[in-house]
Amino acid sequence: MGSGFDFKVSVMWESVPILLTGMKLTIIITVLGLVSGFILGTVFGLMKISRNLFFRKLGGFYVESIRGTPLMVQVMFIYFGLPLAIGMRVPPMLAGVTAIGVNSGAYIAEIVRGAFQSIERGQTEAGRSIGLTHLQTLYYVIWPQALKRMIPPLGNQFIISLKDTSLLVVVGVGELTRTGQEIIAANFRAFEVWLTVAVMYFVMTMSIAKVLNVIERKLEI
Amino acid sequence: MTTTMIEIDNLYKRFGDLEVLKGIDLSVSQGEVTVIMGPSGSGKSTLLRCINRLEEITSGTVTVDGYDVTDPETNINFVRTEAGMVFQQFNLFPHMTALGNVTLGPLKVRKMERGEAEKLGLDLLKKVGLSDKANVYPDHLSGGQKQRVAIARSLALKPKVMLFDEPTSALDPELVGEVLEVMKQLGREGMTMVVVTHEMNFAREVADRVIFMDEGIIIEEDAPEAIFSNPRHERTKSFLGKVI
Repeated sequence: MGSGFDFKVSVMWESVPILLTGMKLTIIITVLGLVSGFILGTVFGLMKISRNLFFRKLGGFYVESIRGTPLMVQVMFIYFGLPLAIGMRVPPMLAGVTAIGVNSGAYIAEIVRGAFQSIERGQTEAGRSIGLTHLQTLYYVIWPQALKRMIPPLGNQFIISLKDTSLLVVVGVGELTRTGQEIIAANFRAFEVWLTVAVMYFVMTMSIAKVLNVIERKLEI
Repeated sequence: MTTTMIEIDNLYKRFGDLEVLKGIDLSVSQGEVTVIMGPSGSGKSTLLRCINRLEEITSGTVTVDGYDVTDPETNINFVRTEAGMVFQQFNLFPHMTALGNVTLGPLKVRKMERGEAEKLGLDLLKKVGLSDKANVYPDHLSGGQKQRVAIARSLALKPKVMLFDEPTSALDPELVGEVLEVMKQLGREGMTMVVVTHEMNFAREVADRVIFMDEGIIIEEDAPEAIFSNPRHERTKSFLGKVI
């Protein structure tokens, strides 16, 4: 090749140990972000189907405003914008987890709402007819069934959020993408390093997909 | 001496502009088996669902065992344990075994100990002929078996009244008998029952009274033999003519 490009597998191998530290952070941010996203999503998703108009509006506002703006802007807002208003620096890690949590929460809220609404009304009626309260019916009757229906779309969201963590590069969180950038800044081997980074993301998303497959088969979804 | 179990007075129910019940008066005594018949859309299911307030009542009063169902002060969850309901579509909880379905009420509503609830649950499953299905999930039960579990689930709250909303309409014909058998047994044991059904034989054998509804009102009521052999109203005649 006249351009002088020579592909070196050894560069890929050499970058792995450092990239692994970034991958570890990517996993931590994803897990923390999704746990918060799941909590937010459940709360706001239930608000959207609440009988109370105020809660319905609030849930709608959250979902629409987050879904309607780019994650990149949300990240920048939390990291660069918010500190000016609250007069306090937001550590990059916290900003990252918050952004992923708030962002995935909006999508998860829609997943939760859809799953709850897909449970036949007869289930609620059966629960209420044996004397369960509204909340007991939600908890013992509807929630377990809805959760099962939520698993495939949740898996999808987990994969999206994991990849979204790469955007946190803009606030300097040392996750996988950022680590890759740093290695390239030192060795200029963009081809090998980005390829390695891509493979590592792929391994993580495939693992999520595989785990979900097993769960789905176990639960006979 | 007869005690009144259900008292319905001038009951109206509207869905938006649609008036489904137009002034129903009905009194059901303890131990009485009442069958409600009528064409589709006549309001019979709605009437039944007003008794345990699965439908909000537009006006009028409904009392169950002396509790005013329409009074906001009344603990409706308690009234619902007094009036068990069996649905056309069974509505078993698919994520619980047959025993799980039956014990949920005792455990969460009656706050019974698990051991005690399970003993009660197994007794009731035995009563409906499903001792061997305690640990089976609804997906693996036939329609008739599902409905019998649903009956056991309601009975687990020890209700004073049982409401049946077309309990055999969703069943294959060969499965209807096993459900009716359980219901007849209940009737013979003295359970107060209100049953929306078109099963003539059930009405003949067990019902004390048949009520015929059309367009939101009760147009005729009588003992089963009398109403079947000698209906007074034209609408009852034409309906019975189609059903028999």
